[in-house]
Amino acid sequence: MKRIGIFIECKNGRLKDAVGGVVTAARCDGGELYALLLEDGGDDGRAALESWGVHTIVDIRGENGPLPYHPSRWAGALARTIRHFDLEALVGLSSLLGKNLLARVAAELDAPLVLDCTAIDAARHTAVKTLYSGKTRATLQTKGAVHLYGIRPNAVAPRSSPSRANRTAYSVALPDDPIRLREIQRSADSGVDLTEADTIIAGGRGMAGPEAFKLLEDCARPLGAAVGASRVAVDSGWVPHRMQVGQTGKTVTPKVYLAAGISGSVQHFAGMKTAGLVIAVNKDPKAAIIQKCDYFVVADLFDIIPALTEQLNKISSKAQAMR
Amino acid sequence: MNIFVCVKHVPDTAARIDVKARCRIDENITFIMNPYDENALEEAVRLKKVTPEATVIAVTVGGAAAQETLRAALAMGADEAVLLETRSPLDSIQTAGALAEAIRRRGPADIVFTGKAAIDSEGFQTMFRLAAHLGLPAASNVVSFGLDQERAVVTCEMEAGDREVLEMPLPCVIGAAKSLNQPSYPTLPAILKARKKEIHTTVLEALDLPAAAGHVACLDMTPVVDARTPVELKGTFEEIAMEIIHLLRREAKVLP
Amino acid sequence: MNKQYDAIIIGAGVIGCPIAYELTKMGRKTLNVDKLADAGEGSTAASCAIVRAHYSTEDGVAIAYEGFKYWLEWEKYLGYVKDEKGLAKYMNTGSILLKSQGHDWRKVQKHYDAVGVRYEEWDLNKIKEMVPVYDLHEFWPVKRPEDPEFFNEPTRFLEGALFCPEGGYMSDPALSAHNIMRAAEAKGAEFIFNAEVVEIRSRDNQVVGITLKDGTQIDAPIVVNVAGPHSYKINQMAAGVFEECNIKTKALRHEVMYCPSPQGYDYLKDGYHTSDGDIGCYYRPEVGNMFLIGSEDPECDPQEWVDPDLFYAAQLPYGRGNELTMEQWRAQTYRCARRVTGMQIPNQPRGVCDLYDCSDDWIPIYDKSAMKGFYMAIGSSGNQYKNAPVAGLMMAELIDACEKGLDHDKTPFPFKLPHLGRTIDTGFFSRNREINYDSSFSVNG
Repeated sequence: MKRIGIFIECKNGRLKDAVGGVVTAARCDGGELYALLLEDGGDDGRAALESWGVHTIVDIRGENGPLPYHPSRWAGALARTIRHFDLEALVGLSSLLGKNLLARVAAELDAPLVLDCTAIDAARHTAVKTLYSGKTRATLQTKGAVHLYGIRPNAVAPRSSPSRANRTAYSVALPDDPIRLREIQRSADSGVDLTEADTIIAGGRGMAGPEAFKLLEDCARPLGAAVGASRVAVDSGWVPHRMQVGQTGKTVTPKVYLAAGISGSVQHFAGMKTAGLVIAVNKDPKAAIIQKCDYFVVADLFDIIPALTEQLNKISSKAQAMR
Repeated sequence: MNIFVCVKHVPDTAARIDVKARCRIDENITFIMNPYDENALEEAVRLKKVTPEATVIAVTVGGAAAQETLRAALAMGADEAVLLETRSPLDSIQTAGALAEAIRRRGPADIVFTGKAAIDSEGFQTMFRLAAHLGLPAASNVVSFGLDQERAVVTCEMEAGDREVLEMPLPCVIGAAKSLNQPSYPTLPAILKARKKEIHTTVLEALDLPAAAGHVACLDMTPVVDARTPVELKGTFEEIAMEIIHLLRREAKVLP
Repeated sequence: MNKQYDAIIIGAGVIGCPIAYELTKMGRKTLNVDKLADAGEGSTAASCAIVRAHYSTEDGVAIAYEGFKYWLEWEKYLGYVKDEKGLAKYMNTGSILLKSQGHDWRKVQKHYDAVGVRYEEWDLNKIKEMVPVYDLHEFWPVKRPEDPEFFNEPTRFLEGALFCPEGGYMSDPALSAHNIMRAAEAKGAEFIFNAEVVEIRSRDNQVVGITLKDGTQIDAPIVVNVAGPHSYKINQMAAGVFEECNIKTKALRHEVMYCPSPQGYDYLKDGYHTSDGDIGCYYRPEVGNMFLIGSEDPECDPQEWVDPDLFYAAQLPYGRGNELTMEQWRAQTYRCARRVTGMQIPNQPRGVCDLYDCSDDWIPIYDKSAMKGFYMAIGSSGNQYKNAPVAGLMMAELIDACEKGLDHDKTPFPFKLPHLGRTIDTGFFSRNREINYDSSFSVNG
């Protein structure tokens, strides 16, 4: 039996939405799944984990109770848990937190790690991920005593595989850590850099002025997206140059590029042509971008964008209400 | 003070990537210094400017062509440049081991800056492995750095714009994010001066480093083809919004 | 029944649109066909859109100076048409031509005097006063950074400059083509896009129309080749046309760089378009306070002649394809950095790589052809953007004269420049001329 550990991320006292996909990805023939929790997964956490096939739930604690979040101490706790339960793999989310923790664990164990996987085979120790800013797709194989994988959020759809899970607590004794966590600063904005954003929503001539960019910000918030602009918006003084996407602005490589009221000149396209999914909203059916996108809507962005924001907020508050 | 900066010679984001042999790309394209390493180098040079008797040492593991990136580092203010030369593709574990050895030989390190990830391999882990080799604390995705009584105080970006503020003793390893600073690029006189500087080169294989227990190998690599055939979304505004959300969820997978 | 027009213009770039505009104003029903999605999206979009008057021939100077009038009064030229995308703006920075061994500036000055171009002579002190960041040493001859002599300490100074207060650039070129299209449409012209020409149909050596890739046939007794870098391919589609031209056109690869302005220098606000033959570059301000640095194709730089279809399909290797090369990035930015003190050079190349439609002597071909009704406005060689409105008028009048029976080859059409009042012998642009060795054989024209 292969013992496969899964680091379960939580948020606001519940399992994170993307966890189901991670557990599903970790499942394989002959695999025994150990869900590792450093925080409270909530009342329905256990049921959810069992629905995805977890066999053992491990509540990792410190010597005096729950371990408060601390990047290297949490990583140390996970490393010790792996050793203690003789796990041959650790699978987690390739979120910012997951990337941080998995890399620290891998370094401590001197074990191979592949992050941002879109698929893994825990039995064969293979993982698929993109390289070169999404321009190639590679199949990698890990060799070693312990294998670590970070799954790209939402890359794997959760599939149920009902099981019953034992629950056990594991107390770790961690040495003094040179890193001191001074504070955590919460922020309302995603604050993500345009060139690093996974999702970008950009406005062009159709925005007709600076005020309309507030609409884009409202839409960007539930998406965790960055807001960009075409040259026209910058030349007209509606937004600063640092928001410009294009030949004389920034080159971006997001997974999603939502172009609102952008005609899609060749100079603009030069800045975002490697985007994964391009969705265009434009009143003009002859706008050049409609030839160059994946999906388009011939409609007024002032109708579509608020409608999208409303639906996004509904989903996000529905999720909140379920907590 | 020895300020080390680990840099990587990588393909330009604008370069066309052609897969040649199994897992190798056609390298007859534009290569540049990994953009995050530029931020790392900039922070190192700024630290040197306010520290008496500080030296910035740029280190890289790579082919002979990586000298170009070291020259760029020298032009941007590094004092010394070290190349561990190898033709073999290395994984993160091997790279970290090599960098650690280079630092030990030139050392001792008072602080190590590097980019949080390389834009080609996107592994996000080499700096942590390097820190483990050197027995140093590390923090990545750093958007602000300062020294407070010989301790590094860094702000690291977390999910949804949240940030954690960490404090570490020196020596430590810092993984630079884009918003850490705005790199200051060299003028022509600085570029010229850098051309004349010596790059200290050692063949990696000659160091005879012990083989690591763990390894990541590439089995196969294919290009991602992006041919777009536009599809129109129709319906009421609400239906179209739901359709877009469906696409974000199912196709782009940016929503749960 | 095929659709019928008085004239079909192949290409809706910055030269194709004014030809339609002028022909339409003369009463002809025109159709522009372009294989891209919108006006000016081809090589026009990559143009540096420089407006300057210095050319190596007097006629060249005259035509360029005539052109100024149109850019300076852009709204008026467009007939005050509204364009939903806004209007392109003429940025009147003024134009500095540094006196160097790279330009026969004395010849230029002679032409200025003959044509009546307004200019001032600046000595070194004057240049220093107006542009404190320029290092006015002489760096000639132009070298590549790989050449160990590149970084030699200069010992001499330039002689000064000729300054034209009326020069500058258009922001942005693709938009300017779009504006002209709207102006032409307001007069009745039609445009279709995503329409690739695959056949030029003729009967008894008279053009009868075109066929598009999707099979659509459109008829016209006049067809004008304004296809930019694809011009030779279009000429090859018209029986006998390509072979009969003595001057041929080919697509030449060209890289233009964007480099940030030195700290503390607001190039966008305070800077001048500058022709700097001493270092083989020309430069002008670009959005984001950057220097747009173009090359004058000095002899030490390799020239890559390419197939435009392979180029635009990204099927050519490094150095011949549509990506910037590190070698040329360094060449152009380092050269400019010799002149502009404090210029900081990023590690990552930034700019545009596109094609010139280059003639054998870098002078355009504005002419009829061996086939009746088939005309060409090609070979712009990177130096005709500024002449677009004038070229539009000249071609329309030339076409009109030929259609009314003028034997243009025997007695070239005399074209009167409306503002300058000067007459141009259009034989100068003949497809059958001998190579004109007065030409600078460069983007300077």
